[in-house]
Amino acid sequence: MASDAVTIPSSTRLPQEAEGTWLETLHGWVTTVDHKRLGLMYIGLALVFLLIGGVEATIMRIQLAVPHAHFVSPQVFNRMFTMHGTTMIFFVAMPILFGFANYLVPLMIGARDMAFPRLNAWSFWMAAFGGLLLYFSFIGGDGLYGAGSAPDVGWWAYAPLTSPAFSKGHSTDYWTIALLVSGFGSIGTAINILTTTLSMRCRGMTLGKMPLFAWLNLVMSGMVLIVISPLTAAQIMLMIDRYLGGHFFDTQAGGSATIWMHFFWIFGHPEVYVLVIPAFAFVSEIVPVFSRKAIFGYPVMVAATVGIGFISMSVWAHHMFTIGMTSYGNAFFVATTMAISVPTGIKIFNWLGTMWGGKIRYATPMVFCLGFLFQFLIAGLTGIMLAAAPWDWQLSGSYFVVAHFHYVIVGGILFALFGAFYYWYPKMTGRMLDEVLGKWHFWLFLIGFHLTFDFMHIPGILGMPRRIYTYEPGRGWEGWNMIVTIGVIFQAAAVLLFVANLVRSYFKGAPAGNDPWDAWTLEWSTSSPPPAYNFAVPPEVKSRRPLWDLKHPEDPDWKYE
Amino acid sequence: MSTSEPKPESEQSGQPAIDLGTSGTSAATGSVPPVSVKLPAPTAWPFVLAFGLSLIFAGLLTSAAVSTLGVFLATAGAVGWACQVLPFERQETTQAKAEAAPVFTSRPEIARIQTLPEMQRAWLPIEIYPVSAGVKGGLAGSVAMAVLAVVYGLISQGSIWYPINLLASIVYAQPFQLSTRHLDSFHPELLLVATAIHLMTSVLVGLLYGVLLPMVPRRPILLGGLVAPVMWSGLLHSTLGIINPLLNQRIDWMWFVASQIGFGVVAGLVVAHQERVRTRQHMPLAALAGIEAPGIVLEKGSKGEDL
Repeated sequence: MASDAVTIPSSTRLPQEAEGTWLETLHGWVTTVDHKRLGLMYIGLALVFLLIGGVEATIMRIQLAVPHAHFVSPQVFNRMFTMHGTTMIFFVAMPILFGFANYLVPLMIGARDMAFPRLNAWSFWMAAFGGLLLYFSFIGGDGLYGAGSAPDVGWWAYAPLTSPAFSKGHSTDYWTIALLVSGFGSIGTAINILTTTLSMRCRGMTLGKMPLFAWLNLVMSGMVLIVISPLTAAQIMLMIDRYLGGHFFDTQAGGSATIWMHFFWIFGHPEVYVLVIPAFAFVSEIVPVFSRKAIFGYPVMVAATVGIGFISMSVWAHHMFTIGMTSYGNAFFVATTMAISVPTGIKIFNWLGTMWGGKIRYATPMVFCLGFLFQFLIAGLTGIMLAAAPWDWQLSGSYFVVAHFHYVIVGGILFALFGAFYYWYPKMTGRMLDEVLGKWHFWLFLIGFHLTFDFMHIPGILGMPRRIYTYEPGRGWEGWNMIVTIGVIFQAAAVLLFVANLVRSYFKGAPAGNDPWDAWTLEWSTSSPPPAYNFAVPPEVKSRRPLWDLKHPEDPDWKYE
Repeated sequence: MSTSEPKPESEQSGQPAIDLGTSGTSAATGSVPPVSVKLPAPTAWPFVLAFGLSLIFAGLLTSAAVSTLGVFLATAGAVGWACQVLPFERQETTQAKAEAAPVFTSRPEIARIQTLPEMQRAWLPIEIYPVSAGVKGGLAGSVAMAVLAVVYGLISQGSIWYPINLLASIVYAQPFQLSTRHLDSFHPELLLVATAIHLMTSVLVGLLYGVLLPMVPRRPILLGGLVAPVMWSGLLHSTLGIINPLLNQRIDWMWFVASQIGFGVVAGLVVAHQERVRTRQHMPLAALAGIEAPGIVLEKGSKGEDL
């Protein structure tokens, strides 16, 4: 019966070559073109930068915990918020999501590797070298022979702050070339994911039978191709301004500082969706498995994702309401920003619909997804508030905005990402992550997150500007800032616990087996970790849940799809 | 909607339940002999190319020597990479052994989502107005509202253009830069904006009436014509001072409420006189949502209607 439905010969790991010296091991990783190894390298790179970015955030919060603090100098504070933002977006969020996509997309679609394995390796190394260049600025920011200093212009790097008059030395240039180099890598990865999902699916896997994870990463990759280009163009224009006498962003010489803002946010806002769509992908895989139900409204989920992809390209200037656009401009960007909440809302309802009536298992991956659902909803609501131009005029540049986007990035994306770690770590390593430590991680992080980012909204409403170095007492900000900083302690403890769990479980975790979650997509049909070739014989599927078909031959999905 | 308690497989389908975990019976495929698999050969050239390109950029900020080294490495990387794939892709062969590993499920029982006949639920109207009814009602209401607004303009300012220019100010800030005398005069661009706003809003509200009125079986005109406009006016009266204080200063609320009621009564009457159509509300939510599952849709090739 089962063979009528699917053909998935399971792969057995053959005895590997004898362990080599550490140099041979290093050589193996440097020269690898295997999508799984590259995925793990992306994830490892991002985790290193996550810790660095976390330290930078902690330094900022210590500085702001009390009024008139001088934990760091104003110059160092400026570098911290610039490096924190740049690191977290470009060298944590993007690589880690690319890492999961790299590892999982070929497995989920029954392919042996990505379409362009060498391009895949090149893309990873470009991202890694981009990150190294950014942090080399601490040494070489003033030139090799001067004292170093990191970029301090904020992660938006608005003109004219980036002009030679206000940004001497090379710190801004390191920021520019780091993003240029990593941007090329991102484009390479996007091309690879697009090509792989469109042309390397196994037999029977039509687009309508592709796992949502692959669908959402396909949309994300298309968006990356579109949105990285204006950022790259702007970086090159900035280099021309700084070194070749150009005046693209020099208002006094006939250029326009506003043009930089447009270029940056044409990239910047879709980038939020570039990051959150893979998080949606994690949730779309985890929630059904732990609810024991197929995803609710698969076609609508795909359509909503594509809709988000399109609409997100037309919302960027809601970051610029305060520059004085025309009423028509304001009205347009208010409308498009409001409109994007519709497909996003559809997704929320569909995840709830998936859980409704299901037999929910509250394992660690699922509880992180539940946290994601609640927090992403709140983030969306404050997003709608900021989408209203008059509201934005009041709160733009305040800590309310900082709280809002951290709700998206941390409360939404990072929670989903943690869920993904707990869900796919067994597949990647062959070992289960410890559930008890996982629950501790969840609760500590949840408490820390809400202490920090719930209460961060309030000083914002009370007028506290973002990027402020310190503040006077008596403005009603100090108590809230202290609570926000205390929350960071909980978050830091949770992340350290998570890292400890990763390391401990790698050596001592319970063996995972091929399919520890009783799941339904193809990656769970192969061994954990999978062999280099993924599948000994390319699989053939007939439905969106091939392993369900195999496990329930009396009631396969393909009879109804 | 809820799920039933899991029943033994045999009770649900009439087939014997399969024992996946305990007896060793599995739903796996047969074994497959070892096969040779060709995979892309590992190579350092992408690393070399990426390193070279990074050095080219780094050299712009440090030293020409760094860029020169970068150019050398990038060239070597590109050539090396090309040699990896031309004329044929360099591959390595691996022996893959496939065997029939058991595929288990810890939950072999399947619970079905109950469908309508077994459930108690509130019924939405089984007949509603078509979309065209809402459009017609909205357009008719827009005429009534426009007449009242023009009358207001004539009485209060002696000009029909005053309310039109004010309406345009919702998205077009220019009227507030004009004096009252200017607001009384004709401005073609404001007329265009006001007309667009008026028509769009009227049609949207008309559509809303078309949806809502069937849900109010008793005195729909009272709700649509009086209660809803008064509530809407109250909401706007309490918030417009914050949202748009300048516009708030110029609004005559008595006339505003009157025009809202005029719209509501006319739109409600027009909608209520349209012919109703049957809905698909009798179908289960699952079927409406496109869920494809046994009990909701039939198997391919079987005869009969879906639920």
